[in-house]
Amino acid sequence: MALGGAVRAGSIAGIVTIYLALVGLVERFDELNLIGTEVTFARLALIAAPLVVGLALARTRVVGGESSTPSVREATISGAIAGATAGVVVAIAVVFADAFGIERIGSVFQNADAGLLAFLTFDQPAAVAAVIHVVIAAAAGAAAGAYRRSPAAIRKPVGAAVATTLALGFLQRIVPISLDQLNVERDWLYSKRTGGLTWIGAIVVAAVAAALSVAKARGGGRLRDRLRAPSVLGDDDRSELFGRAIPWRALAFGVGFLLVLTVPYIVGSVVSEVLGTVMVFALLGLGLNIVVGYAGLLDLGYVFFFAVGAYATALLTGATLNTFTGSAEPVIGASLNFYLAIPIVVAIAAGAGLMIGAPVLRLRGDYLALVTLGLGEVVTVLIASPWLVPLVGGPNGMRNVPDAAIAGFGFRDPQHFFYLALAFLLLAVFISRRLISSRIGRAWTAMREDEQIADAMGVATTRYKLLAFAMGGAIGSLGGALFAVKIGSLTPASFQVIVSIQVLGLVILGGIGSLPGVIVGSLVLVGLPGLLREFEEYRFLAYGAALVAVMILRPQGLVPNVRRSRELQDEEQMQDAWARQKSEEEFEEPPVEPTGGELRA
Amino acid sequence: MSDAGHLLEVRNVRKQFGGVAALNGLDLHVDVGEIVSVIGPNGAGKSTMFNVITGLSEPDGGDVLFKGESIVGLLPHQIVRIGIARTFQNVKLFPNMTILENAMVGQHTRSRTGLVGAIVRPPSVRREEEKIRERARLALRFFGTRLAGFREEQSAFVLSYANRRRLEMARAIATEPTLLCLDEPTAGMNPRETLEMRDNIVRMREELGLTVIVIEHDMRVVKGVSDRVVALDYGRKIAEGSYDEVANDERVIEAYLGTKAVG
Amino acid sequence: MASAEPARVGDVQLSRFETLPWRRIILVFLAVTITVVVALGAYQTLTLDAGEGGLSTSAWRDFTVLGIAQGSILAMIALGYSLVYGILRMINFAHGEVFMAGAFGSFFFANAYAQSGFLNDNVVVAMLIVTVVAIAISAGTAMLLERVAYRPLRNAPRLVPLITAVGASLFLQNTFRGFFGPQPRGFPKPTVLEGRLDLLGVPVAKTQVLVFVVAVVAMIALELFVSRTKTGRAMRAVAEDREIASLMGIDVDRVIVITFAIGGVLAGIAGVLFSLTFEQVQFTMGFRPGIAAFTAAVLGGIGSIGGAALGGFVIGLLQAIGPALFLTGFGIPSPFSLRDAFVFIVLVLVLVFRPGGLLGSGEAEKV
Repeated sequence: MALGGAVRAGSIAGIVTIYLALVGLVERFDELNLIGTEVTFARLALIAAPLVVGLALARTRVVGGESSTPSVREATISGAIAGATAGVVVAIAVVFADAFGIERIGSVFQNADAGLLAFLTFDQPAAVAAVIHVVIAAAAGAAAGAYRRSPAAIRKPVGAAVATTLALGFLQRIVPISLDQLNVERDWLYSKRTGGLTWIGAIVVAAVAAALSVAKARGGGRLRDRLRAPSVLGDDDRSELFGRAIPWRALAFGVGFLLVLTVPYIVGSVVSEVLGTVMVFALLGLGLNIVVGYAGLLDLGYVFFFAVGAYATALLTGATLNTFTGSAEPVIGASLNFYLAIPIVVAIAAGAGLMIGAPVLRLRGDYLALVTLGLGEVVTVLIASPWLVPLVGGPNGMRNVPDAAIAGFGFRDPQHFFYLALAFLLLAVFISRRLISSRIGRAWTAMREDEQIADAMGVATTRYKLLAFAMGGAIGSLGGALFAVKIGSLTPASFQVIVSIQVLGLVILGGIGSLPGVIVGSLVLVGLPGLLREFEEYRFLAYGAALVAVMILRPQGLVPNVRRSRELQDEEQMQDAWARQKSEEEFEEPPVEPTGGELRA
Repeated sequence: MSDAGHLLEVRNVRKQFGGVAALNGLDLHVDVGEIVSVIGPNGAGKSTMFNVITGLSEPDGGDVLFKGESIVGLLPHQIVRIGIARTFQNVKLFPNMTILENAMVGQHTRSRTGLVGAIVRPPSVRREEEKIRERARLALRFFGTRLAGFREEQSAFVLSYANRRRLEMARAIATEPTLLCLDEPTAGMNPRETLEMRDNIVRMREELGLTVIVIEHDMRVVKGVSDRVVALDYGRKIAEGSYDEVANDERVIEAYLGTKAVG
Repeated sequence: MASAEPARVGDVQLSRFETLPWRRIILVFLAVTITVVVALGAYQTLTLDAGEGGLSTSAWRDFTVLGIAQGSILAMIALGYSLVYGILRMINFAHGEVFMAGAFGSFFFANAYAQSGFLNDNVVVAMLIVTVVAIAISAGTAMLLERVAYRPLRNAPRLVPLITAVGASLFLQNTFRGFFGPQPRGFPKPTVLEGRLDLLGVPVAKTQVLVFVVAVVAMIALELFVSRTKTGRAMRAVAEDREIASLMGIDVDRVIVITFAIGGVLAGIAGVLFSLTFEQVQFTMGFRPGIAAFTAAVLGGIGSIGGAALGGFVIGLLQAIGPALFLTGFGIPSPFSLRDAFVFIVLVLVLVFRPGGLLGSGEAEKV
């Protein structure tokens, strides 16, 4: 057990804790009660870094081909050492802040105030507080280390209990409302006074979660195997959805689909609203996935298509300009039915994609990224500029985008909007799946792997890049159209460069090239921040951290696309995988170097 | 095709890289059904010649005629379409695609499914997809069972070196070419594999009716497959003829062994 | 398969449509259109009377001076992009944030000194300390960035570090927002730097003179460092071929860290100069100058010091003069709001027409 490693990791954890405190993620959330008044977000934040370090130190390490797994005892000790170190670092900071004067620090760091110091000293003298910090952090680190190395029979139920309880604690704004809508008595679970879970509720939830986890381990496996439905969104399909005659699958799929249809009425209006946004972003993600995931072109200006889709829809369906005095007609406009306007919007977006794609698509990857970023910015600047006020309303934007009602069934209501978005999403998923498993998809894959060689094998690469760009743009414009219908008014603020980054982020987090990944990615990156409004300010901080962390720790994303994930591995790992594969099979030839040429390009 | 002309004719092609002339007035022709070997020391311009023929680099001067028409300025994928396929000296596969998919990419120019077809997938498209798969399999089976069966679904990167070369050739065959350009097909292979490859090259003509240009260093292969041998040095042709003629040509020996200092 | 079916080779003919050099046609068309629009816009603007929105000679002169000052700052940021690109062949997308970090860090010192009166009593010492702080923070940020976000990914495919760079950029921006708040802060300016100097009959703001002088000195120092010192030689070697350099006994990791640090030093100085010029700092201030500077680096020829400097001045001038000159003539209201769109269009054009930059060979690198 490397003592130095634990101390080093612990110091980093301590610095991270101080960072969290200064950036405002600790004391400002002391009032956010998760369970009772004892477990608050702030207290959790205080031990989060030691916990993570404790978990990390207990991992199985591979050194020189030998893997070594620490024992429970080793994991506990190293976790405790790391935690204690973290505690010492924080303690030093607290003592320093106390001696130096927190106001003086506060004149620079906006979150460093008397309240933060009081929280960090637990209303005790600084020296006592210092000891408490060390003890708590050491305990957290030790617990985390012990947890990770404990036998599965203990680990899984404990993990399930803790995770479920905390998740319900975080969702205190959402779950109670949904329960109310379903007329479920909930005062035993959520306290009206603290806002969070009651202790009784927490214990019940934890017990149920643990029990379910045990039950699953005992015998649920078999049932699950039988019910394992084909993933609706799975993308590496060779078989048609209903092609194989396994009734279980079709049945499970049907039941699942019916369940999905009832979602808006189960979760309630507030969550449906958030879900609507998630689905708009998922649609954007599906579009960008074609460009980035299938064709391998990094497009940082995807907001372009979102804006084109939204504004084109608004103009074609008869929205008006926002002015100080009320509203005015735009210089160009029509009042088409939404469903008549959609094909035109898509055509405009695809056409725009072709026009801007034609000159720039020959550029190398990173240059292309910057040029597209620039083009996205041009749109942002243009729609906000005084020059285009008569067309798109400039900074004031447009309003009165008509609803896309069908036979009187309007979609502006968040619970209704869900169905419109679902239809669009399914269409986009269908198109994506069909494309990737066709001759076109094969050309894209080949091009992504090695552009020059694809060309030399007959793939007209420029044409296929343009096709991906236009296709991605078309789907992105659908996202824009949906967005316009959803909120009914448009301002340039909704079309900033950050949208491009968000969409890229969810595609990457979910797993580049993976359709289920896009859905999961948008649920995590758009859904969670939508549900946890308290953290609105910190959402982009988390985005940035997530992008970096995912690329370093798990480049294949949460729900990886098998092939794409291999492409993102280090060359070295690929060679390892290749060597392993070789040793497993009998080959008549002597091993030689794999090409790995694509990775160097 | 013009009856009198050659299948491929390289006329006085020049290509400079910086100040170095890789091709310096190269002349070469290949007739239908021939297997022509190109030999020459490293840096003689052999691979550059392939790059010029297949559109990967544009010549500075001269002309390349295929079936009597100039193909200079055509893009690589257009060259594949008119019937010239190639392999690379350092094998270039799509490592993360399966073996079958690699070969199916070769069929790209021989199929036509477009955007709408791919999305709607009418019966005609399904049939074409089936045809692509079948022809790709056929190309893989040229190498017997080495690339067939369970292997089809494996990623190309798991293949052994020799099988990678074979797959690359299968992919080229799958483009249904008239003329196949093989760049050092036996490099890095052991003697047994080399002999097998020699037989395969001959079979390409006998069974598939291909015309082949092969860049090769292994003289046993050159001897075994060639109707005609062309030797290059410093970017131009220094000898041409049957294997025996070229192998005994003084300039060729000199090119390989180096010039003796003259008094 | 020829054996399975009769070969159908010999009858494939490419249509005329396919053999046209499309790219060249599009490029020529683009070039002609742009030239016409630019010339027409400039002509119309210059023939406008003062009453119709035409601009006086002195206004153009002020624009030019402003452009040169902005250009000096952009050039210094551009060098950061250029150096890193030269060595790692990657765009350090978060470099704009490195610049922001320095500016922000220096703000607190400048502000404290302004309140205590030290800033005006002892302006040289105070400004030196402020600059050193900015340099330390920017260089520290750049080095941290390299260590955390880029080093673990050095062998990954090219797009991966680019994505982490985007993430790091977002993270840094929002960290500064969380630490110091979202509102813009007024950057104090020493009274010595108020007012204008008369240079050969042209009145120039003192800050602009300072900006220009400091930037030129810094760039000369950098050029000397890279061409004369041992470390500079090592940097050039690594830029040439990383593997060979490491075989020659050069500590590549160290060279890369130093490169990031130098980029950070220049960005820190640029941060102070920028704050003095615009008298304001905010957590979003890095983004647009960052892009403009990157454009400058590409325009001049990325990887070259002289190129970054040249590109900086060109972009600075273009930003200052371009909108007024080319757009006013078309009657477009408040052309300066389109300033950044202008930069991006230039970026696109440069990459399309001269990917090697103005000083580069004009040949694209392997696409």
